[in-house]
Amino acid sequence: MNPSEITRRMYNSTNCDTDDAKYERALLSRSEITHGEHPLSLGKTSVWNLFFQDTEIIEQIDRDVKRTHPDMHFFSGDSQFARSNQEALKNVLIIFAKLNPGVRYVQGMNEILAPLYYVFKNDPDEENAAFAEADAFFCFVELLSGFRDNFVQQLDNSVVGIRSTITRLSQLLREHDEELWRHLEVTSKVNPQFYAFRWITLLLTQEFNFADILHIWDTLLSDPDGPQETLLRVCCAMLVLIRKRLLAGDFTSNLKLLQSYPTTNISHLLYVANKFRVQSV
Amino acid sequence: MHNISQRKRTLLKVIVLGDSGVGKTSLINQYVDKKFSQQYKATIGADFVTKEIQVDDKLVTLQIWDTAGQERFHSLGAAFYRGADCCVLVYDINIQKTFDTLNNWHDEFLKQADTNDPEAFPFVLIGNKVDVDGGNSRRVTEKKARNWCASRGNIPYYETSAKEGYNVEEAFFCVAKIAQENEHVQDIFFGGISESVSEAEQQQQPSRCAC
Repeated sequence: MNPSEITRRMYNSTNCDTDDAKYERALLSRSEITHGEHPLSLGKTSVWNLFFQDTEIIEQIDRDVKRTHPDMHFFSGDSQFARSNQEALKNVLIIFAKLNPGVRYVQGMNEILAPLYYVFKNDPDEENAAFAEADAFFCFVELLSGFRDNFVQQLDNSVVGIRSTITRLSQLLREHDEELWRHLEVTSKVNPQFYAFRWITLLLTQEFNFADILHIWDTLLSDPDGPQETLLRVCCAMLVLIRKRLLAGDFTSNLKLLQSYPTTNISHLLYVANKFRVQSV
Repeated sequence: MHNISQRKRTLLKVIVLGDSGVGKTSLINQYVDKKFSQQYKATIGADFVTKEIQVDDKLVTLQIWDTAGQERFHSLGAAFYRGADCCVLVYDINIQKTFDTLNNWHDEFLKQADTNDPEAFPFVLIGNKVDVDGGNSRRVTEKKARNWCASRGNIPYYETSAKEGYNVEEAFFCVAKIAQENEHVQDIFFGGISESVSEAEQQQQPSRCAC
């Protein structure tokens, strides 16, 4: 008997209801499939078992990629172009999840990847644009290295997790505009988590239109203080810019206002944010 | 706003939970704005809307919290769940898994919401997307869903289509009704910025919601 035949017999004896179609999809030839490594293995080290566990995360990625910037033809719709872009986003997110088992995929990562991919894909040099997927991947990894902890549930209550980042925003606001801070958090009882969670984890990508996002990101990514510090200053500036309305508002109106932030002059927003740095030095 | 004086109204806080993609945001938007879109962005953290309705002779404000479906966001729930008067569980009748996770959502909510009397806390179950494929892709029978509701202390059950607006109004009226029995009367300042959703609506609704 050749090894392939042995594998086949062992395979059949351990799995009564084998499904031909299932293992024929395997890329490995039968002789290379060891006893512990087959599509129906439940072993913890089985790459197959892992593959099926990953299916759930891939479905989640698929669902979210399809609803990334639904108002833009670049990302959304049934055109060949949109589909190929969705495919690229999916690939990047799946590879990231596979390479970072401690983080995996968290809803919202699609929003962070989207501007990166968009910029690379729209490079006027076609040769560069052809590598948009790979370029976006490496920049995404680099960007997330500074923001990863916000996505990790186990770190939610640690000093590096999302809660403590939100607390830092709250402190920054208190430092620069104590009256507004008091009205928001003490008087109208708006827990900053109710709005800042999305602002921070998504780097403001759901708060503004796409052109404005790119404008803000240029600043986030180029500031010598790094994206996280810069982001907190921009968030703080967002609050201060609408302080009049916030000071006049109650819980409901304030939360609604903060959850759908009004259109604003981005250059001015960034100017105000920048001033917070000068003061705190 | 026309009325600056403080008025005592009933504020009902409602939390909407369920797996990603079952249509929580669509249901809420259909209910509040009478609109449906194929493509809502994924909800991150929690979104917040209000709607005023008349229940019996009382004007109540529903404060509806739309939550993120992915498990990662569960641990952040406590801040949102606190003070809730009713919890709406949503699943997709075409996807078995979204029904199987209802126990988790139910128990996790009670664990985190810190309610006075967990046994009596009001839930409503919504089976959404009955319009899909003319009902031919249904995976969870109505009977199965009703059995689950019975086993969890007679939770009212509604099957809806957020897309077609089918049964959505009825489901949320029931939510308001049973939330009110659990009511928290609070002082609400009506001032500042008004939103289009806050118009009071007179509604003709069936007077009871148990089904």
